[in-house]
Amino acid sequence: MKLFDVKLLTVTCEILAQKNILEILNKHGITGYTLYEVDGNGSKGVRGQGFKNEKNIKIEIISTETRLKDIVEEITRSLFSDFAIIVYLSDVQVLRPEKFI
Amino acid sequence: MDILELIQANILTPVVLFFILGIVAARIKSDLKMPDAISEFLPIYLLAAIGLHGGLEMRNTGFSDMLIPMLVAIGLSLVFTLNHYQILRRLGKFNIFDSYALASTYGAVGAVTFSVGLSFLKNQGVESEGYLAAILAVLEPVSFILAIFLTNMAVSKQIQSKKQSLHEGTLDNNEIVEQSKTNLSKVLHESITGKAIVILLGGIVIGYLIGDEGFDSISIVFDELFTGAIAIFLLEMGIIAGQRLDDIKKVGLFLVAFSILLPTFNGIIGVLVATALGLSLGGAVMFGLLMASASFIAAPAVLRHAIPQAKPSLYITSALGITFPYNIIILLPIMFTISSMAHNLEAPINLFNYLGINSL
Repeated sequence: MKLFDVKLLTVTCEILAQKNILEILNKHGITGYTLYEVDGNGSKGVRGQGFKNEKNIKIEIISTETRLKDIVEEITRSLFSDFAIIVYLSDVQVLRPEKFI
Repeated sequence: MDILELIQANILTPVVLFFILGIVAARIKSDLKMPDAISEFLPIYLLAAIGLHGGLEMRNTGFSDMLIPMLVAIGLSLVFTLNHYQILRRLGKFNIFDSYALASTYGAVGAVTFSVGLSFLKNQGVESEGYLAAILAVLEPVSFILAIFLTNMAVSKQIQSKKQSLHEGTLDNNEIVEQSKTNLSKVLHESITGKAIVILLGGIVIGYLIGDEGFDSISIVFDELFTGAIAIFLLEMGIIAGQRLDDIKKVGLFLVAFSILLPTFNGIIGVLVATALGLSLGGAVMFGLLMASASFIAAPAVLRHAIPQAKPSLYITSALGITFPYNIIILLPIMFTISSMAHNLEAPINLFNYLGINSL
């Protein structure tokens, strides 16, 4: 079976930044992503308890390295200063590369 | 009744006791927790019930009395927001974003506080005007819009002056103005179509349309369960407030004092103004409560987008951890006593003149 190298971008952030992140994805032509609610602990304390507005989410996007790097750059520039966000890129392998380009 | 006695009696109501239970549970690190779905459902239920009752009563009393109290409430809310800003910025030395965020949190209204107020009045056997629910809905976005508008103005002014000092002559503030305009209209759209306002106004319309007869069929859910639902919701609020008690140390003494003194001041002004406008004893208490309450459910959702630079830990902690308990436990009985006294005065017209000179 032939596997193709692509990148996985994972964004963990407060739920109130969700809209901003999705806007950025949309702007860069990303149409597929996976999003889920998560709990956790970090520099802003234990998150995910209490109000719905204070939950965290995790978004996963698979695409090419260049496109994801543009997205990371924009998230860094526009959201890092005001929101609780963790962003990382990792290597993944997929079967059908045309789905992720 | 003596104020202290009234406060004591108020603490021993189920609603307040459940709130205290929630705080205790959080402090002893119990795993007591509301299921997520219920804690999201209860505010919707409460707003629907408030709206329905408001609509029912407006059907009986009509809209005509509503206009002046509503305009006065909007005016007071705006003045209070500006006043808060000056106090926070000048005396509290907060930065411009935190000042505006806090100012609007305290200028906005709390729907949960409003429901507790209604159950408090029910306990006292006092009625309030139904159109106050409509005022609640209208007031919800007012103070945010003002604060966001002023923040945008301040930010674009800053950018403008920076640009001016960098390279004179080549000003391009159209873009910035345009950007802050779209920001504002987005916020306006979001807050007006937000779930709180939609369900509240929808409830008012439905209540108005169905009337008492139609309401009979649903009164078991929206009337008899109301106080019980508030008690459950306040258990949840108590847990969340309890988890935040440690954060109170971080917000600083100034903000703690602000979160107690400002609501007291705003609330008492509200009660007196409402009395002068001819609202009933209970109506004046609810009007005062609208002025005193701070928003802690809507505020983060709106402000986190509109003024992302402001620290949410400041405005949520002070509104939920300090002002909310203070309002429902201590300030409500105080305002009730003041309203009773004001309604026993012989000449409300004198009071109106007095207020007209000094505060409006």
